[in-house]
Amino acid sequence: MKITYNWLKDFINLKISPESLAEKLTLAGLEVVSLEKVKGDTVLEIEITSNRLDWLSVLGIAREVSAITQEKLKLSSQLKFSHFGNSTKSSAKDFGLKVQVEDKKDCPFYSGRIISGLKVGPSPVWLKEKLELLGCRSVNNVVDITNYILFTYGQPLHAFDLDLLSQKQVQVRRALKGEEITLIDGETKLLDPEILVIADLKKPIALAGIMGGKATEVTAQTRNILLESAIFNPVLIRRAKQKLGLQSESAYRFERGVDPQMAQLASCQAQRLICQLAGGTAQAVKFSSNLKFTSPVIKLDAQEVDKLLGLSIPVKRMVQIFNQLGLKVKALASGVLAVSIPSFRADLKLPVDLIEELARIYGYDKIPQTFPEIIPGKNITQAHDIVGGLKNILVALGLQEVITYSLIDRTLLARAQMQQPEKLVEILNPLSREQEILRPTLLPSLMRCVAFNLNQQPEKVNIFEVAHTFLAPEAGVQENLFLGLALSGSNTCLTPSGVIKDQLSLLHLKGILERLFEKLGVKDFDFLSQGHNKFDILIKGEKVGVMLGVNAGVLKEFEIKNHQVILGEVNLAKLFLYLGVERKFCALPKYPPIARDISFIMKDNILINDLVKKMQDSGGQLLRVVKVVDYYQGKQIPAGFKGFTVSCVYRAEDRTLTEAEVTPFYNATCSLLQECFGAKLR
Amino acid sequence: MDLEHLQTEIETDLNSVVSLAALEEVRIKYLGRKGLVAELTSSIPQVAPETRGIFGQKVNALKNKIFSLIGEKEKFLQAQENIEKQNDLDIGLPGIALELGGIHPITQTINEICRIFQNMGFSVVEGPEVETEYNNFTGLNIPLEHPSRDAFDTFYLKKYEKLLLRSHTSPVQVRTMQAHTPPLAIIVPGRVYRPDAVDASHLFMFHQIEGFLVGKNIKFSDLKGSLEIFAKNIFGPKIKMRFRPHFFPFTEPSVEVDISCIICQGQGCSVCGRKGWLEILGAGLIHPNVFKHVGYPSGKYSGFAFGMGIERIAMLKYGINDIRLFFENDLRFLKQF
Repeated sequence: MKITYNWLKDFINLKISPESLAEKLTLAGLEVVSLEKVKGDTVLEIEITSNRLDWLSVLGIAREVSAITQEKLKLSSQLKFSHFGNSTKSSAKDFGLKVQVEDKKDCPFYSGRIISGLKVGPSPVWLKEKLELLGCRSVNNVVDITNYILFTYGQPLHAFDLDLLSQKQVQVRRALKGEEITLIDGETKLLDPEILVIADLKKPIALAGIMGGKATEVTAQTRNILLESAIFNPVLIRRAKQKLGLQSESAYRFERGVDPQMAQLASCQAQRLICQLAGGTAQAVKFSSNLKFTSPVIKLDAQEVDKLLGLSIPVKRMVQIFNQLGLKVKALASGVLAVSIPSFRADLKLPVDLIEELARIYGYDKIPQTFPEIIPGKNITQAHDIVGGLKNILVALGLQEVITYSLIDRTLLARAQMQQPEKLVEILNPLSREQEILRPTLLPSLMRCVAFNLNQQPEKVNIFEVAHTFLAPEAGVQENLFLGLALSGSNTCLTPSGVIKDQLSLLHLKGILERLFEKLGVKDFDFLSQGHNKFDILIKGEKVGVMLGVNAGVLKEFEIKNHQVILGEVNLAKLFLYLGVERKFCALPKYPPIARDISFIMKDNILINDLVKKMQDSGGQLLRVVKVVDYYQGKQIPAGFKGFTVSCVYRAEDRTLTEAEVTPFYNATCSLLQECFGAKLR
Repeated sequence: MDLEHLQTEIETDLNSVVSLAALEEVRIKYLGRKGLVAELTSSIPQVAPETRGIFGQKVNALKNKIFSLIGEKEKFLQAQENIEKQNDLDIGLPGIALELGGIHPITQTINEICRIFQNMGFSVVEGPEVETEYNNFTGLNIPLEHPSRDAFDTFYLKKYEKLLLRSHTSPVQVRTMQAHTPPLAIIVPGRVYRPDAVDASHLFMFHQIEGFLVGKNIKFSDLKGSLEIFAKNIFGPKIKMRFRPHFFPFTEPSVEVDISCIICQGQGCSVCGRKGWLEILGAGLIHPNVFKHVGYPSGKYSGFAFGMGIERIAMLKYGINDIRLFFENDLRFLKQF
């Protein structure tokens, strides 16, 4: 909201510069976002918080300035009815006007003042300039006066050309389905019963509290007007302006709620000015009112102020602050203040609201800094720590964390060949297609991230993300924490005998997961082929994730050339069920092991896991470890075969083993390989 | 010749060898064509037939022994020579090490902020991103149809009337307080969503950290003290803070906190809009209505809460000028942190 320095001076003596005023307002909660010198005046633009309806007027801000600068308001007497003169003369004509309000909950107060014999024309210079400084276009003297009153007192008004009403009857009612109105800005809007209108007997003539209609607007030809001052239900105004996509100074105030005692005063003041500047005569006033305003009283224990702020303010100063803000205070016994809340401060409801007023005006900067007593160690959850540890392991394994959007375009799933349309969580109000759904899997986003980065031609893209995925099964939305991984490109190793390039493969991803699981103390994990380069990740037989080599079709879809992409995804909630982060010391072996390697070739349709398992099961008590230490396929190996070197490690707990002890077991294992797997020893 | 004497002799010889060249001399002395072992072998026929067999075996064993001793010595000298060779290394050659990955700068900022508050005794709690309208608004004293909601434009879900994507991390306040009684010292990092048009400083998804402390006699001065520790830890000891009254439906009194501009030290520059101050967070004492909604007895507890946007903190800290960089995930960007 804009305000000018000189306009404020109508209400208060300002002894400080506009700059200093801006600083003080900002530190009292009226943030001045810009300050501009124009034509001997200064325009301040202030960000008004949504709780303060009273700050949407020069008077309201002047009241605040009064409290900040401890200067009295000049013109409090102007707010008395008598000041505006008697507006109901006996000779008043009413033109046969009737005002009818359909539901007083929609419109608790409506007044229509008739002013006759007007001469509509340009506004005087002072008025034009005042409005233009606030960025409000001057229209004519009558319309300008309604705007002047709006900015000065915060009460929106509207003037109708009385002679253009079909009959002299004004209704405040809900619009009928299918009714239309052409507004003063020339736009036509289709209405419905959720929208409150002002209507004559034939049709709507204004959108209540938002904007007037074109048909009855005040023009140079207007002689007689109906001046409306009303109070409308804030929620109705808010719904209507949102529905119709309209914004106006009037709606901006009505949706916050206006001062119930201002509607009449502002209308009197406007009438006086119109008669003065447009030469009209005040005639009859028609009312419909359901207003009952009693000033609520909040009791504030002065001790509570200190207790909540950590700052003691003298009670005398408290009273002074309240008074300058326009709140009446009565001191009750035992340090309790009874504070009456005026009609323009509906935001004050609880003692704590009054404490904020005191702190604001006294100065937040005067509140000391203390450190609270914190009782630590209430560890409600440790998931954040575990995820942190997991990320550090992945970083040590060379992976870079990424963060991608949880909202995606539905087609991204299809492009990655991962469609699950019936279970998707859809967004009701996306701004664009990229925000259509909540992703059910991290993999398409990672795929897109890999494709984006491969364009910069790095050696490799090794990335991971930890984020939620979303599915909508029968009841409710299922939100799960997932780890997603993607690898592409190759590891490059520089050695004295030349560069070794090692293309990243599913075995690299398997290796990363194995290291991760081992470090997290997860036991009994396994990888199970599902065909088509896709593998389930199992822990104790339960599927916790998948890994896969991306197929050529998907690579093409993401415009990835000459690169393989490996993806993996693990459900962390499931993984965390199998964590074994607690450690127990195992005594170190006292006696050295003996290792024997066996090199052999076998048919390439035999799975190495089957063979290793058989070796472990039948290798005898002394066998501790069986592991593949080398494997090869190529020139030296006949077609249809593959070569392996498997190392068997033997150890006894109570003595140093001799070669002679190990040899029979070793020989037995060699025969087993030959007999059960058709291996040929080399 | 005496076989045992010969073995002692070679051990003595080998002990004095310090180079591969000297070792070769020793090898020739014993194993050469005219060496001592060859000499012994040629003497076998002259040994009496009854002891010739045993003598032959002994010579053979000695020969094998010398082979292995020289072999061992050779390995040792070779290794030594390799080590010495490294003294001539051209250290300009690229070093060899496994590559490390990295943590996203947003996560790093979250971790740093969490650590500061964890050091004060706060615990980290997280919550779901799909929330109820109640937890996101009503429970936090935000009326559903009031302009105060305009600050929280929200994505709603299709098919579920009361479900939405949380527009701030504050719903976790409601969740935590519903489940636990004070004292509570909680910090909540997480993703939040708002249907904002995308530009250099706005996105439809970003991160927040929410913190709240609830107990008996928690005061506004405690909030000031705690936030001072936070700001000095994250932006450096010279930073100045400014507490401006503001309005949030879920706190009363409410405050917006500015720090002196870290670019111009408060002199006024383009980053701070010539004001010398940068807004970094919103805070306040928890509104009595929030306590009422979670079922805490009236007047028993007080507390403070604060919330901040992580992207904004990270952008200020690292000097990043476009928020979109965070989620584009260009490795050339990510690897700078």
